[in-house]
Formats: sequence, C-alpha cells, structure tokens
Amino acid sequence: MSATLLSVRDVHITFGGVRVLEGIDLDASRGEIRGLIGPNGAGKTTLLNIICGIHRPQKGDVLLDGISIVGRKPSEIARLGLGRTFQASQMFGGMTVLENLIIGLHRRTSSGLLSAGLKLKRHRREEAEMEEAARRALAFVGMSELAERPATALSFGQQRVVEIARTLIGDPMIVLLDEPAVGLSANRLTELDGLLRRIRDQKGVTLILIEHAIRLVMDICDQVTVLSSGRRIADGTPLAIRNDRGVIEAYLGKDLRARHQAS
Amino acid sequence: MTPFSRRNVLLALLAIAIAAPPFANFYHLFVANLVVIYVLLAIGLNILVGYAGQLAFANAAMFGIGAYATGLLQVQLGWSFWLAFPSGAFIAMAVGLAISLPALRLSGLYLALSTLAFAQATQWVFLHWESVTFGAGGFKTPPLSFAPLPITKPLGLYYLSLALSVGLFMFAQNLVASRVGRALVAVRDGEVAAESLGIDLLRYKALAFGVSGFYAGIAGGLYSALLNFVAPEGFDLFQMVLQKSMIVVGGLGSVAGAVLGAGIIIVLLEALRAFKGLQEIVFGGLLVIFVLFMRGGLVSVIKRHVRGWEEPLRLVQSTAAPAPEVIDTRPSVADR
Amino acid sequence: MLLLSYLVMSGVTTGALYALIALGIVVVNKATGIINFAQGEFFMFSGFVAWMLHVQMGVNYPLTFLLAAVVGFGLGCLTDRIAFRPIAKTDVVSLVLATVGIAFMLKGLARVIWGGKADYLSFPPITSTDPMMIGNVMVIPQQLAVLAGTVAIVVIFTAFFRLTRAGKMMQATADNARAATLVGIRTDRIYTLAFGTGAAIAAAAAVLTAPLTLLYPDIGFAFFVKGFAAAVLGGLMSLPGAVLGGLIVGVVESLAGGYIHSSVMEVSPFVVIMIVLVLRPTGLLSFNKIRRV
Repeated sequence: MSATLLSVRDVHITFGGVRVLEGIDLDASRGEIRGLIGPNGAGKTTLLNIICGIHRPQKGDVLLDGISIVGRKPSEIARLGLGRTFQASQMFGGMTVLENLIIGLHRRTSSGLLSAGLKLKRHRREEAEMEEAARRALAFVGMSELAERPATALSFGQQRVVEIARTLIGDPMIVLLDEPAVGLSANRLTELDGLLRRIRDQKGVTLILIEHAIRLVMDICDQVTVLSSGRRIADGTPLAIRNDRGVIEAYLGKDLRARHQAS
Repeated sequence: MTPFSRRNVLLALLAIAIAAPPFANFYHLFVANLVVIYVLLAIGLNILVGYAGQLAFANAAMFGIGAYATGLLQVQLGWSFWLAFPSGAFIAMAVGLAISLPALRLSGLYLALSTLAFAQATQWVFLHWESVTFGAGGFKTPPLSFAPLPITKPLGLYYLSLALSVGLFMFAQNLVASRVGRALVAVRDGEVAAESLGIDLLRYKALAFGVSGFYAGIAGGLYSALLNFVAPEGFDLFQMVLQKSMIVVGGLGSVAGAVLGAGIIIVLLEALRAFKGLQEIVFGGLLVIFVLFMRGGLVSVIKRHVRGWEEPLRLVQSTAAPAPEVIDTRPSVADR
Repeated sequence: MLLLSYLVMSGVTTGALYALIALGIVVVNKATGIINFAQGEFFMFSGFVAWMLHVQMGVNYPLTFLLAAVVGFGLGCLTDRIAFRPIAKTDVVSLVLATVGIAFMLKGLARVIWGGKADYLSFPPITSTDPMMIGNVMVIPQQLAVLAGTVAIVVIFTAFFRLTRAGKMMQATADNARAATLVGIRTDRIYTLAFGTGAAIAAAAAVLTAPLTLLYPDIGFAFFVKGFAAAVLGGLMSLPGAVLGGLIVGVVESLAGGYIHSSVMEVSPFVVIMIVLVLRPTGLLSFNKIRRV
C-alpha cells in the first residue's frame, strides 16, 4: 500500500479555447491535509472538478490509490472512495438533516427497488443501521438536536458542517473540500479547524482543501500547492510557501512584493 | 393521539371503498373505478415528477401504451385478459425505460421537449398504424369475465383495481421511505452533490421512468377493461395535463397526495363532463393556483393543521418514543 | 423539380410560421430563462380574436393585424404577472406547470367563447388564391405574404435587440439578471416586455397564417411543440437560430409528407427532434454549456 493516495499527473484542460490548467502535478499522501491555494481564477475548483470526474482533462492522468480515474463517471469515482464538498450549499432541500446524512451512506448500502418496495428484512435492517450511523455522525459534529429539522432551516455555517459530515459518513479515503470556510464567522472558523483536525486524526482521511483563509491553511495543512493562472507555481510546506517569491508575487503583484521584501 | 393521521384517513377511505358497491349504481361504480385507476397514474407520475424531479410529459402516452398493448394482445393475438394485462404493463414499463435512456443526458426543458415529442409521436402511431391499432375509431376489447368467481364484471374489475392500487400504493410508500426514495430526491435537489455521493444518475432516473411506466401500464390495462374499448383520444395532451394537475393539487412529492389529487380531479372531471371548455379552464386554473399558492399541494396544508401526515424519507423504526439519545463520549466541537 | 420546389416553398412557408413561434419562445427565454408553454395558445387566441375582428366585425386586415398584436402583447403581460413574476425564483417544474396551466385556461376560454359556432373557423383569403409562377417555383400569394411578414418581423426584432436601449437591456438581463438590477435596469419590466413581445410575435404569426389554414382551439399545442423543437434546434438562445430551426422543421415536414407519405408529415418533426436531442442535447447551434460547480 503506497503512501501516495492521490496522484495528479501533468493535467491539462482547455475550455472553449481558454487554457484553464496546464501541466499540473500533485501528489497527496495518505492521512495528509493538503492545501490548494492561489489567486482567483487560478483553476483550483477546476482541478477539483477534474479529480472528482466532472470534467475530463485533454491531457494527463489522475490516479486514486494507483487506479486511473480519468474518464470515469463522478458517481463511480465517488464509489471508489472519493468525497467532495462544494462552494455553494448542496444540501438536499427536500430532506431533513438526518436524512441528508443517511443519504451519505448510499454507496455503502445496497437494497434496491424490490427490496425497498416490499420492505424486506434486509432493507429494514439496513435502514436501522444507517439511522444509527447517521445519528452518530451528527453527534460527532455536535449537532444532534438538528436531526429532524428540514435541511433548509439551517444556517449557512451549520449547513457546511453537515455537508462535511455527509461526505465523511460514507467512509471515503479522501475528501476534496472547496472553500469550506467561506462565509464562516471567526468562531465557526475555529470550530472548523478543530473538526478538520479530528477528521484527519481520528479517521485517517486525506483532505485536499481549497481555501482563501490563509490562516486556516497555514495552521492545519501539512503541505500546500499553489496555483496561479492555470499553472502550479509552488508546492511545499506552509512555511516554505509563505516565503516563496513566486507565491508572493502571484498574490501581491511585483511592486508590492518589493515593498513586502523591504519591510 | 392522531385520529386524523394519514394512515387513518386512508384506511377509512379504503373501508368506504370496499363497502360501498352494494349502495352504488352502475355509474357511481364506474366513476369510483376510474378514480382508482387515476390514483395509480398519479402515484407513478409523482414518483417521476415529484420525487425524482424529472419534467416528463410522457405519462399519458404510457397509459395509452398499456391500454393498447393489453387490448391488442387480446384482440390481435387472442390472449386472455389475464395474460395480456400484466404483459401490457411490462411493455409500458419497457417503453418507459427505453425513453429514459436518451433522456438521461437531458434535463429540464430539453427533457420536457423530448417527452412531449414522444407523446405526440405515440399519438400518431395510435392514429395511423391502422393495421395494428385500428386507427382513429379505436377498437372494442373482448368482454371480461371473472369466472369461476360469481362476480359481475363491473364489480370484479372494481375490486381488482382496488386491490392492485392498494398494493402498489404500499409499494410506492415503502419505496420513497427508503434508500431508493432518498436517492431520487437527491437527484432532484442536487444532481451534482448526489453524484459526488456515489449515486448513479442514469440508474435512478431510469428507475423513476420505469416505475412510472409500470404504474401507467397497469392503469392502462385496467382502463381498457373498464371501457371495453381503446381509442387514441384518451391519451392525449389533455390527459397529460389532467394527470399533472392531480399531482400538483394533491402534492408533489407525496404519495398520499396522489390519492387525494386523483379523487378530486376525477370528481371535477365528471361534474364538468358536458363542458369541455370549462374543464380546460378549471384544470388549467387549478394548476396555476396551486403552483402559485400551494406548491406543496393539499397535503402541505393538511400537514400544517393535522398531526400524523408526515412522510419521512426513511423507515421510522417505531411510532412510539423517539430513538434514545446517543451518548457520545468523544470530544465534541464544543470542547477545546 | 416542380414538386420539389413546391414542397420546399410550402415547407418554407409553414417553416416561417414555426420560426415565428420559435422566435417568441426564444425572446422570452433569452430574457427570463424559461420556456413559455402558453406560446402556442397565444397564437391560437390571437388568431381567434383576429377572426372575430376581421370576419365578424369587418375590421380591415392591416388594422386587425395591429389589434391582434396588441391583444397578444396584453396576453403576454398578463401571463408574466400571473404565472411568472410570483414564482420567478422557483424551480423549472413549477414554472413550466404554471405556463401549462395558463395555456389550458386560454384554450378553454377560446372554446367557450367561440367554440359554440363551428369548431373550425375559416378566415377568408387576403390575397388571391390563384397560384402564380416565379421562375420555376409555384407559389400562392399568401405564402409570399407570410414570408414577407416573417422577414419583416425578424428584421425588426434583430434591430430592436441590437440597436434600441430596451433591446440591449433585455440582452443584459438575459446574460446576468443580478448585474442588470445593479446597473439600474428594471428587470421586472424587462420580463413583462419579453413576455408581451413574445406573445405579440405569436399573434402576428396567427394573423399571417389565418388565411392559409383553419383555426381551432387545439391548434395551439401542435404549433407550440414544433416551435419549441425549432427553437431547440437553433439553440434556444439565438434569434437567427430560431428562424433557421423553424425553416428546417417546416421543410423537413413538407418533404417527408411529399416523398414518404402524407400521414408522416405530422410526426416527422417529432422524430427529428427526438433524434437531434439524443445526438446533441444542447441543440444544433449552441455551444456546450460547461457545468459550473
């Protein structure tokens, strides 16, 4: 079992004539928290979309646990053990919070049309197990009292946390998080920090995290990859990245870099 | 105490339905049978449109395919009703699945258009493939007999329809409160997130089309037996709007709602029988009013005032006390 | 050759009609993002009103045209107020069902108001009915009128969108409604304008067609589905696309009817659209929309 869980190799993608990503390489090890940062428009979300199967790169490969996943359907890749959260809320409005978590277990269960329709024993047993697991997951993130509320009744911050829980409940090997901290207050941010650490420590899940909250990234990431204008301009520990000239330039522009260096 | 819970109300309706025939005349029995048939249609359509969120307009065509298949298998191939009927339902289901395959890449409006086109094309086949379908004039089906049971056809068909719809109603209720139902709602409420959770969109959309096709096929077979006659005009756009108004009035995304919606609409239909124009105004108006003011249909209004009408998307293990609090000894987010 | 040219001509004429319906659909879609399922009924209803004006009340043709267009515009605005504005933010299913409801109400209304007389109303011909020869092609003058009318409408609308302020505001609203609001565009007025305009186009189409065909309450839906198909062929967001789509549908229909069998005419557009949607789910002239997550 190699240490590298996810491997992105020389990925290129073009949309309507515009080169969005060029020659991207990234390796994430098991149990690592990797940050993916860069100015707006760098292609970070596109990269996540490629990894989880929404877009197909023109060139390059993505390997999950040694298996090539380029070209597979997103649902297939999810079933192989990859989870993902999105920038915009993707709670299922027609369900309660608990039901949203239970659906996270979809890929681990199997009762189908007949088993469910006829309410067979297997189906009933699975439902009971799923409900219990969902309640445990809700407790893990400290929101047990919200179980029966409709998903839409939750605050934005609460929704994000539930979505993370929903992705985790299916026991993925790796989770891609697209700006999980966006719109969170300082308090919630601290909570998220703790939650992400606990996820990594207690469940051994690898995390790849797009974030603009640099403090969060520096705080919890083991490794950071920096993208700018579709290219990878740096890759290393948070400390190394912080002092990298290319990175500073990408964020602040050349003039400001000079001033920053001078200070 | 939930005296007017969904369960109780539906059971009461069922009891009335079972006991009523001796007090009803032929016409009443006919209308009641019609209601039961439409309940089936509405439940199936609701699974496709209400739960899975697919804007499909092909249900009336599948209803027609079920009726035509059942009728033609008897008339052209000499099969007995008892063989033709289930076969007709499966044929309708197969067609439902077949349409769904291209439809899976389509969403929203494109799906609506292709199912509309399919419905028109099916109408055309009913009208023009005269050698097989007997064209615009339609055809009579052989009289149905329930021998050796000592029961007349109207009564026998009524109880058969009732039994089938009760069974299929329960099947649908079980289905929506399960992993399958949740997957459908996920497909409706957030396709992309659903995929990221491992839900195969193709599979579940196909499932929804297949199930609604099956229900429509069963309804079609019963319909052909009820009228003893099959003709193209029962399966047109008007029919489609009728079905849509049933699920909107009852409540999109509610199986019980389909029952209520079907009942109300059929009664209205019969009451306004003489005035086609008025029928259209009323059903069109109902659609508009309900979509604007009561998007959850009657069931949503009932839910607010009467206890016991929740329709959770999971199998509630017991109706007694809620599940015991999960004692979690692990540090929660609050601990720092 | 004569047959082919006749079929093509006839196809182009009905195609022009479908193009106008498609145009109305696209105008509304461009501004609001939804498909108005009542478009066919706007066509039908305005046609009946035109009949009432011209045949029953003796109003002359050009004035009938104008009045019918005004009625159509009014119907469109009404639909916007009733079936779109209140639920503009909800899902596609609800919006479509609301316009379907309006369509049915209009149909029922027409049946109640005018259906008492014969169900099929005929409009007297405006131009002479004798076919004439233009070069090698046989045409009926009314067909030329339809074509001329269609061209005029398309030209006017393209100019409207490109050159006038209102037209540009509609484009802006279509591209990004929120930004349009921020810039001070009254998007709700734009929506009403779009619905009204779309309906007026349908009304114009009806008055142009009325001399060529019989009017009956159920005519709306058949035209709508074909118009919708034409709009999809053209990409749903493109005005020239809608026109092209309409012509394609009309010609295919006519050729199928002429060369295969007359009964196939009815169904050929539906088969074509089903095939097109399977092969190119986003229409012929549009570019692939990337799913943005």
